[in-house]
Amino acid sequence: MKILVLNCGSSSIKYNLYEMPAKSLLAKGIVDKIGLNGAYIKNEREDGDKTKLEGEIIDHQAGLEYLLGILISGKHGSLKKIEDIDAVGHRVVHGGEKFNGSILITKEMISMMEECIELAPLHNPPNLKGIYAITSLLPDIPQVGVFDTAFHQTMPPESYLYAIPYSLYEKYKIRRYGFHGSSHRYVSERACEIIKIKREKLKIITCHLGNGASIAAIKDGKSLDTSMGMTPVEGLIMGTRCGDIDAGALTYIMNKEEIGLAATNTLINKHSGIIGISGISSDMRDIEESALKKNNKRAKLALDMYHYRIKKYIGAYTAAMGGLDLLIFTGGIGENSDFTRAEIAKDMEFFGINFDFDKNKGLRGKEMILSKDKSKVKVMVVPTNEELVIASDTLKVIQTKFK
Amino acid sequence: MTESLEDYNISKTIKQKSSSLKKIGIVGCGVMGQDISLLTSSCGIDVVFIDVSEDKVKEIYYEMGLKLDKIINRWGLTKSEKRAILSRIKGSSDYQILSDCSIVIESLITSNMKDIVEVKQEVFREIEKVISRNAIIATNSSTIVISELATVLKYQDRALGIHFLSPALTVKVIEITRCLQTSDESFKLACKFANMIDREVISVGESPGSVSTRLIVSLINESCQVLMEGLSNIENIDETMRLGYGLQLGPFEMADKIGLDKLIIWMDNLYKEFGERKYKTSPVIKKLVRAGLLGRKTGKGFYYYENGKIIKKKIEDGI
Repeated sequence: MKILVLNCGSSSIKYNLYEMPAKSLLAKGIVDKIGLNGAYIKNEREDGDKTKLEGEIIDHQAGLEYLLGILISGKHGSLKKIEDIDAVGHRVVHGGEKFNGSILITKEMISMMEECIELAPLHNPPNLKGIYAITSLLPDIPQVGVFDTAFHQTMPPESYLYAIPYSLYEKYKIRRYGFHGSSHRYVSERACEIIKIKREKLKIITCHLGNGASIAAIKDGKSLDTSMGMTPVEGLIMGTRCGDIDAGALTYIMNKEEIGLAATNTLINKHSGIIGISGISSDMRDIEESALKKNNKRAKLALDMYHYRIKKYIGAYTAAMGGLDLLIFTGGIGENSDFTRAEIAKDMEFFGINFDFDKNKGLRGKEMILSKDKSKVKVMVVPTNEELVIASDTLKVIQTKFK
Repeated sequence: MTESLEDYNISKTIKQKSSSLKKIGIVGCGVMGQDISLLTSSCGIDVVFIDVSEDKVKEIYYEMGLKLDKIINRWGLTKSEKRAILSRIKGSSDYQILSDCSIVIESLITSNMKDIVEVKQEVFREIEKVISRNAIIATNSSTIVISELATVLKYQDRALGIHFLSPALTVKVIEITRCLQTSDESFKLACKFANMIDREVISVGESPGSVSTRLIVSLINESCQVLMEGLSNIENIDETMRLGYGLQLGPFEMADKIGLDKLIIWMDNLYKEFGERKYKTSPVIKKLVRAGLLGRKTGKGFYYYENGKIIKKKIEDGI
């Protein structure tokens, strides 16, 4: 069964074409600069054929039409005809409270998704554009929506509510939703597969550490809490986002700097985090180099703050779950930075973590158990694969609906 | 190797759709022209601007960089965003650079011009010579009658008004004026542009001053009248309107920001058109302009300024 996975942004569409359930990737690429000058599609086929095609792409629908043209072309294609695509899976950023799992996209579902636009005005509209375009281009092919927020819909009110007037939650649904849901779900499932223990039996903490970062507490197989909130700004320190901050400090800054909402938004989303503290870069590789090789104090401070915040969350979530069995690292930094993993895991013997620093050293992007056998808490690296989660969910949903 | 997407066109519908809005031209790159360029580019659209000489073009490019630096210093932008914004803007003194623009906006600085309509008409003619049949020509002017400008065009259905309010980078609304000749397609393209740069469209009928200029001019003139009658002073009048009606700026602060010379042009045009006393420039404004006190841009107007901030109120004693 061939499944096309789409991740539609405001001016780009990332895509992956999978053969399922074999999980083999037939083609992947990006439709970029939609509606802008210099638009192009970059396609990479499984046999290594790479191509870049340029031309005018006026909107998402035109981009997808060209993409389908490429996928069925003799020269760069992976399919014989369009009808060979059995289903399309879409990444949808915000599902609000309406979606707690992946769904078959119907007219009714689309109007429910449209109601979620207010919660993610930058991300959801382009996701929907992709859905509208596929509906018009491939009306007979089933589509599935996979939501970044869905996995965290199991959070109980005590973890998802903010302590602000309850009426604001009722009026605007202001609460914590969490993101990276597909990633937290995938790596926790995959880790349990590797160690051959049912996920429902474990208390798990998953650390998705990429340029955006979040951490989740998973108990009885369900998300109990996660660090991102109503927006992706809350929680851990990120490349350019501040993570947790005193709301009072923000209003104070707005007053002192005489800035409005737009600049404040840029301040906490783009000027803060690792780049804000270090003043060097938002890229952890640059920061590690500056801190460790050039002894740059601010880079060192940024790293210390970054690791400290993660450690604090691990402690808090362990207390919230009443224990910890499995700690998982994923995301660009979690998968590739042995330094970050070691900094988080050091001096944690009291916590039941006996980390194997030798095994950790130099490990990049591979599934691995990094704790010693005697360790009460298992520590693992599991590379994430959100596209594959979307393909698997799409397969599961259509098999259930159409069996 | 790069290939053309057209070879992979599986549907004719792509061709049939209206052309995309890929490039915007600006003719006259003063403060407003620069703001429109930066705003448009910050939304991912390519911009080309025309000014009088290549030296002037360089100067404008430098000024735009400074403007973005100020925004970065106030946390509104990142350095990489600045690079991306400037990379999408190209300037020239040659109209040919406008040839593949979808929309060209005339934004001349007219404060020192006597024959504004003729000058703008000449610009309209020059633009039309180089652009495609589907491209539209707009003026950012709010007090000039667009139908009159359009008369010099071969295809008059492409003319309309796209009026940005100052400062264009932050004001979320633009007025789009259809003149008698404007086609539906031209109007729709202008609205599409507004949508792409995240601005609310106020569609207004053709009348000098549209909505925004007529109302602000009346308020400023009446404020001068109140001042002259001695009812209150500049600061108190401003404060009354700011706090009393939740305006961001009081009428005198607003007048200084717009530029008092520019206000006179607006008022003269409106007075010429309507013949109503409320549009006749107040003697207070005339007096300041004659003395070269034009507002924020000269550092002196109703208030005195340093680095764009009010330092003291001085001018009242002389009024």
